[in-house]
Amino acid sequence: MLIELSGVSKIYNQGRANEVRALTGIDLGVEQGSMVCLKGPSGSGKSTLLAIIGCIFPPTSGKAAIAGRQLARLPDRFLTLHRRETIGFIFQRFNILPELTVLENITLPLLPLGVPPKERKQRAQELLERFAITHRAQFPAGQISGGELQRVAIARALINNQPIILADEPTAHLDTALSREFMEIMQQLKAGGKTIVIASHDPLVFEHPAIERTVTIKDGRIHVS
Amino acid sequence: MAPRNLEKQLNILDYALSSLWRRRMKSLSVLLVFAAVIFLLASFQMVTQALTDKASQVLAYTPEITLQKMSAGRQEAIPLAYRDRLAGIFGIRRVVPRIWGYYFDEVRLANYTVMGMDVREMPEGDRLDTALAKGTIPGPEEQGRVVVGQSIVKALNLDERNTFSLFRPDLSLKTFTVSGAFSRDTDIMTNDLIVMSLADARDLYEIPAGLVTDLCVYVANPKEIGTIARKISAILPGVRVLTRPQIQKTYQVVFGWRSGFGSICLLAALASFVILAWDKASGLSPEERREISILKVLGWETSDILAVRFWESVIVSGLACIVGMTAAYIHVVYFAAFLFRPVLMGWSVLRPDLHLVPRMAVGNILLILAFTVVPYLAATVIPAWRSATVPADSALGG
Ligand SMILES: Nc1ncnc2c1ncn2[C@@H]1O[C@H](COP(=O)(O)OP(=O)(O)O)[C@@H](O)[C@H]1O
Ligand SMILES: [Mg+2]
Repeated sequence: MLIELSGVSKIYNQGRANEVRALTGIDLGVEQGSMVCLKGPSGSGKSTLLAIIGCIFPPTSGKAAIAGRQLARLPDRFLTLHRRETIGFIFQRFNILPELTVLENITLPLLPLGVPPKERKQRAQELLERFAITHRAQFPAGQISGGELQRVAIARALINNQPIILADEPTAHLDTALSREFMEIMQQLKAGGKTIVIASHDPLVFEHPAIERTVTIKDGRIHVS
Repeated sequence: MAPRNLEKQLNILDYALSSLWRRRMKSLSVLLVFAAVIFLLASFQMVTQALTDKASQVLAYTPEITLQKMSAGRQEAIPLAYRDRLAGIFGIRRVVPRIWGYYFDEVRLANYTVMGMDVREMPEGDRLDTALAKGTIPGPEEQGRVVVGQSIVKALNLDERNTFSLFRPDLSLKTFTVSGAFSRDTDIMTNDLIVMSLADARDLYEIPAGLVTDLCVYVANPKEIGTIARKISAILPGVRVLTRPQIQKTYQVVFGWRSGFGSICLLAALASFVILAWDKASGLSPEERREISILKVLGWETSDILAVRFWESVIVSGLACIVGMTAAYIHVVYFAAFLFRPVLMGWSVLRPDLHLVPRMAVGNILLILAFTVVPYLAATVIPAWRSATVPADSALGG
């Protein structure tokens, strides 16, 4: 198992007046090379679960092993180091920095790794070609089309060759055509050996044939129907 | 992956540069305010340093003791005969008579200082030649010849001609020929000065024979100035005895007061600058918060984000220092510190075209840096700590 959660709970602001119990007793395993959808209404805990899988914070209790590492035992700094080697994130609305160029956006994860500019460009070049956005490399990201933006976001999640791709409601602000294109690209990545977890309540996502398993979450628990 | 630390720092520096460029209007405005503060501080420092240097230089030429006769609290002519009464005081090297006066030029609305003295009689008289840019000091028998300061040269157009005339009290004209001009290095004292022989000054002011305005007393041993001054006072009651240390002290008080006043103004500027820097840096805009959380999710450590802020501040303050210091140097050397003229040269009616030789002490540079760069770094990097607490998960969808 590349992702292995057992009895995972997450409580925000524990012990304070604004305490929120976001996840309770989550058991989840994801095989390498599979594609899973986390489904559930808004506020059910999908983003929180992605954050734990994505090594942004450890669970409050329970065990989470991501790519062979136990999160609970890692201090913050090592979570970051582990995250950048392991996880590629695709955000809702993509979270591209609009004033940076497409090339700069894609290579952002490589800067703290000490990858020199020439090598950064070289690595980005392959992805730019693969996603047919080479001609946009020097454009400010705020000036390209929605479809191109989506491909920039995907390229950024792949730049460090991370084995796990996490996407948080990627199609929430896309039209049908772009949503389909997104799932097609995910299918290709899966075929290339990536492990993919997508949080979404969009039927275009969870009904997609490439999705092997849909996990429904309600009120922070896995819902078995 | 092996840590590639140098490359990482270079990448972060690169990112800091491009962030500054992206926010170039904001960066530029901070840079300009910062450079302006450094410009003011550095100009001010250079000017006061240059003035202090000059004053002490030129004070070296003033006599150790100056005697003036007072009547009803005002200065009046002093009889030359007083010289003989000082003959008995041990330690006096020489007593040289001098006529010192002012001349108001009604055509040009400027004040000149006239000094009539047979300078060859001064013990240091020969050294005065080194204060000249060109020509020679007139001897006692050279009638109608003068040495003038730089602003006189300018006011009376003495580059093109070398004679000019001044009015006697009876409105008859007395003509002078320029035999030399003081160098710019002695501007602070010689700027508005016209030096002539004692006889010419007597003629110009119509001072009767046997009288002068003051007597310059030169002593053999500077340590005895105080003692000798006291003895003179005893022998010549009603005569004002000015010693060089007293004059020096007066200058220092004037400089001290002026630079104190200036310092307060500069401190106010500095304080407002720090407030501005703090305000700019502490107000994390939503865009900045978003950028920080995105960078964090993408694997940037908190220290990397702080390093970006740090480099941005170092670049801004480094540039501001270079721009500010260079501008200050140009201001002081090529524009004669014209911004500070009213504050620093208030005592002269003639706006002197003062030529300053700026001196920048290393200690003072460090002091300026300590007062500007350090607060700026603190004002920008410390609030960035707060930005480091922006949680990475805020970049995820709600
Ligand atoms: N940073 C946070 N601090 C406090 N509560 C939070 C935080 N993030 C999410 N929550 C709460 O946790 C619960 C689950 O939220 P989330 O994981 O974002 O759900 P989803 O992504 O399914 O909409 C919600 O009640 C939400 O208000
Ligand atoms: Mg969510």
